[in-house]
Amino acid sequence: MKAFNTMFKTELKLAIRGMDMVIFAIALPVIVMVILGVIYGNQPAFEGASYSFLTQSFGAVVTIAISASGMMGLPLVVADYRNKKILKRFKVTPVSPMLILFVQVIVNMLMSIVSLLLVFAVGALLFDLRLGDNWFAFLGAYFLVLLSIYSIGMMVGAVSPNIKTSNLLCSILYFPMLIFSGATLPYEVMPTVLQKISDILPLTQGIKLLKATSLGLPSGDILFSLIIMILIAGFCACISIKFFRWE
Amino acid sequence: METAIKVENLCKSYGSINAVSNVNISVDRGKVYGLLGANGAGKTTTIECILGTKNFDSGTVLILGMNPQKERKVLFERVGVQFQESHYQEKITVAELCNVTQSLYKNPLDYTELLKQFGLFDKLKSPVNELSGGQKQRMFIVLALIPNPEVVFLDELTTGLDSRARRDVWKCLSNLKAKGLTILLTSHFMDEVEALCDKICILKKGTPIFYGTVGEAISCSPFEKFEDAYLWYTDEEGSENESV
Repeated sequence: MKAFNTMFKTELKLAIRGMDMVIFAIALPVIVMVILGVIYGNQPAFEGASYSFLTQSFGAVVTIAISASGMMGLPLVVADYRNKKILKRFKVTPVSPMLILFVQVIVNMLMSIVSLLLVFAVGALLFDLRLGDNWFAFLGAYFLVLLSIYSIGMMVGAVSPNIKTSNLLCSILYFPMLIFSGATLPYEVMPTVLQKISDILPLTQGIKLLKATSLGLPSGDILFSLIIMILIAGFCACISIKFFRWE
Repeated sequence: METAIKVENLCKSYGSINAVSNVNISVDRGKVYGLLGANGAGKTTTIECILGTKNFDSGTVLILGMNPQKERKVLFERVGVQFQESHYQEKITVAELCNVTQSLYKNPLDYTELLKQFGLFDKLKSPVNELSGGQKQRMFIVLALIPNPEVVFLDELTTGLDSRARRDVWKCLSNLKAKGLTILLTSHFMDEVEALCDKICILKKGTPIFYGTVGEAISCSPFEKFEDAYLWYTDEEGSENESV
């Protein structure tokens, strides 16, 4: 426990000092929320909708931080620590190198959650964001999406032979998802063709899940998204465990 | 006397190249053992096989009577390691790195004392990557000593240090040795080996070509100075002549 606490504090400080996550996981989603708020104000999502466009977008905007921490932060740190042989140094101590990876998952998760709270606070205080009553379902969906995106990230970190490959794979995954899954550019304003393409991306399904739970929509429509998320989490976690290398 | 490190018939090959063949090392508790050889002779591979960070093909390794791979968690409470290349997180400071290292052990030493001993106390707040080569090297020796180890492995102990700092490190290690610390080190400095090592092993292309004390190494060679003797043992041309 002492080792975990000290490592957690240190790795958190390093993550903040590194600035990448502060910019992409914390500042960016807040900025997107403000932009959407300024553009759409409290317009309804569509004519006769009981919730605003902004409230509808909340479930999408919170995934910006999940994607940044899970598909950039986590895999790059894993590849970097392996490359720098920091994991090897842990192998000649009483503590397993697994601990530092676990600490990284927690640090990145914390970044996502801080971002979630900030985005909610900005939306609620400035733009009259109102969520549905079922907090429990929303948080459940949130952690499921987090789990499956992180497992994609871990898989990338595990299979990449070096930091260059890891960088490349992360960029290929991260940027299209950020733009085309509805995390930044709202799914609802995309042309139908783009929506069809967007549906293939795993994050799009995650966002559907988050929107449905945050708006309190009927749960029948999201069964497909739910299954996809669970399958991705399971599949990628298995691959990462099977192919993980310390060096 | 109790044996702290026992290596028998250690062999390791990469494909068809023998990186280490038939190395036998036995270090008694409280002794200093030097592993010598040119660059690429297999010193680091040997150390990594002993530590269990590399798998070896055949042979047995025991540190403090334990198998380093199977009893890792118990063993490395009592063993400190300084690797040849330094491994640390970008932007981490000296104090943070020491703190994390200290937190990994049940009964660690106070690292501020060690930093003072190695002349690094004023660098506590400095980022590790801003330290000079010699300061980094000393810091990694400090990290290896934080667990208050019974056995310590030092790969290229004083590479990059100036003469003064090297003498200070020797003095420090001699003191620790007097308190019973067992040391296995590699070095390219023959004066250092003479000053510190009770026994040595000279490796040439992965094969041990000499085991014994520094004195024995000199007397088995046609030279009077250890450095000349060492060069004579490891001489490339010599070996070709022998094989003709």
